[in-house]
Amino acid sequence: MGAKGFFTDTTICIGCKACEVACKQWNQLPDDGFALTGMSYDNTAALGASTWRHVAFIERPVALSNQMADGFSWLFSSDVCKHCARAGCLESCPTGAIVRTEFESVFVQQDICNGCGYCVVNCPFGVIDRREDDGRAWKCTLCYDRLKDDMTPACAKACPTESIQFGDLDELRVRARGRVEMLHEQGMQEAYLYGDSAAAQPGTEGLNAFFLLVDKPEVYNLPPNPVVPTKNVGQSWLSMAFAALGVAAVALGSVAASRHGGAR
Amino acid sequence: MKTDGRDIDPSLGMLLGEGSGQQVKRDDERMEAVLPLPWDKTPTVSETDPTYYDRPLLKEPVWKIDIPIYYFLGGAAGAALALGAAVQLAGDGELQEFGKRCHWVGIVGSSIGGALLVHDLGRPMRFLNMLRVFRPTSPMNVGAWILSGAAPLAITAGLFSNRQGLLGHVGSAAGYGAGLFGLGLAGYTGVLVGNTSIPLYQETRRLMPVLFLASATASAASILDILFEDRRSSKITFIFGTAGRLAELGCGFAVENVAGRVPQVAKPLHSGVSGALWRTATALTAASLVISLIPGHSRSRRKWAGVLGALGSLALRFAVHYAGTASARDPRASFRQQRAKMIA
Ligand code: SF4
Repeated sequence: MGAKGFFTDTTICIGCKACEVACKQWNQLPDDGFALTGMSYDNTAALGASTWRHVAFIERPVALSNQMADGFSWLFSSDVCKHCARAGCLESCPTGAIVRTEFESVFVQQDICNGCGYCVVNCPFGVIDRREDDGRAWKCTLCYDRLKDDMTPACAKACPTESIQFGDLDELRVRARGRVEMLHEQGMQEAYLYGDSAAAQPGTEGLNAFFLLVDKPEVYNLPPNPVVPTKNVGQSWLSMAFAALGVAAVALGSVAASRHGGAR
Repeated sequence: MKTDGRDIDPSLGMLLGEGSGQQVKRDDERMEAVLPLPWDKTPTVSETDPTYYDRPLLKEPVWKIDIPIYYFLGGAAGAALALGAAVQLAGDGELQEFGKRCHWVGIVGSSIGGALLVHDLGRPMRFLNMLRVFRPTSPMNVGAWILSGAAPLAITAGLFSNRQGLLGHVGSAAGYGAGLFGLGLAGYTGVLVGNTSIPLYQETRRLMPVLFLASATASAASILDILFEDRRSSKITFIFGTAGRLAELGCGFAVENVAGRVPQVAKPLHSGVSGALWRTATALTAASLVISLIPGHSRSRRKWAGVLGALGSLALRFAVHYAGTASARDPRASFRQQRAKMIA
């Protein structure tokens, strides 16, 4: 099988939202209401339990080297679950409902999830969410059902510019690095890869869905240096152990002290 | 197969998938929950300090008030069970009754707490799925095991520990076990919040377990003081409670300081509902400490100290809960925290 993933090249995204629609359609996800947000053409707002692709529109008075408009830039980026190499959602899931598949993607087994909501606060990207009505956690499955049948995930299939590329991760990484070099040669020095390897993003040990960006991650609502919480949980257990020893000592001490007059 | 004249299989158009048939919340509600601004007031993406239109980076906790109440009850139960085991260990006949009370506080706290936990699940009927794996990387899984050990042990201890013969031995063994599991029960919730992406919790992940254990100690002593009265045991709860309240105050102060390394991260402790609760908690605990320290024996004063102390601990748990939500809503808290680490 091998590791599969997405390479999202934001420089060729045209903001058509075909990926959003294809995802909703294939996965039979409900709409999340029709409200205007005032955030450029983005009325989807965020990823969530029923939105597994979200195209961000960044419209602002900042000049970027590839955009002609004087002192103005417009960026599009199709966001998705990153299928982290070390996934906060998976490692924190108390039921084992979230698993790593044979494609190295992160998958929520809906027949097991009991809706504890712990993955929601463990994802450093704010991806996974619990559905109000059915009580379980939902997120992108990397179209697990399609992969099983050797098909490309719906979003990548629908993307008309190949901004979303799906394939073997090793191959995608090579292609992505080539693309960055190409952009640099063309004078677009801002281009860089986000989360393409463990070295680039040690906190998650790399993302199976990585991005080519041309501005700070914050602009796209991506964290600059995400760390999977479970990486540091040992520190918490250690301090709990010391504190628990303290409580035990106080308990024994208070019982012992009560024997000899002591306090009151 | 029935067709409508076109060469289409109508069953292909039916929504039968796992994800279908869902109803999402109404749009305006959803929008308002995230960003209570009319669309023409949407912030621009700034050049120097960008966020995505001030949208949250993270998802906020979906937990309802069951959870802070559980923190409080589970904590008090755990610390009471630890105290009960210490009493057992002392083997003092005079304290038998007090040890039993500790066990009962443990039983009531862990059972109500457990019920609250189940109630907060999206799928309560699937609670037992928590126990289908043992996953040390997940504090919630470890906690589920701790709770399912602590509650039955506490019940066994409460029923049998003062009996004669074999049952008595089983009961007292259960009492020691409950003491150990109780320490876990009072502390793991601190590890659980520390192990999240929420910037405030993440920054204070080493302190949260200590704060939770301190608060548990204080609340166990407070509850025992409110419910029961006799001279010998009040000496025990006095020492236990004073240590707990002092540790609770000190630890709260340390949490503010550590979170304050990145001022944006500490903000929920100073402003909003969570800030108000946090200050209330400090004031109540301090008041309870002062009252309990006035020399001379007075039954009513001890009860008042207990009431204030318990309310202080409860307010603290709610403060931690709401501060987490506020912190998750603030993208700048995460961004600045992570940038600070990148420079360091
Ligand atoms: S992005 Fe979030 S939901 Fe997706 S794998 Fe990583 S931690 Fe899990």
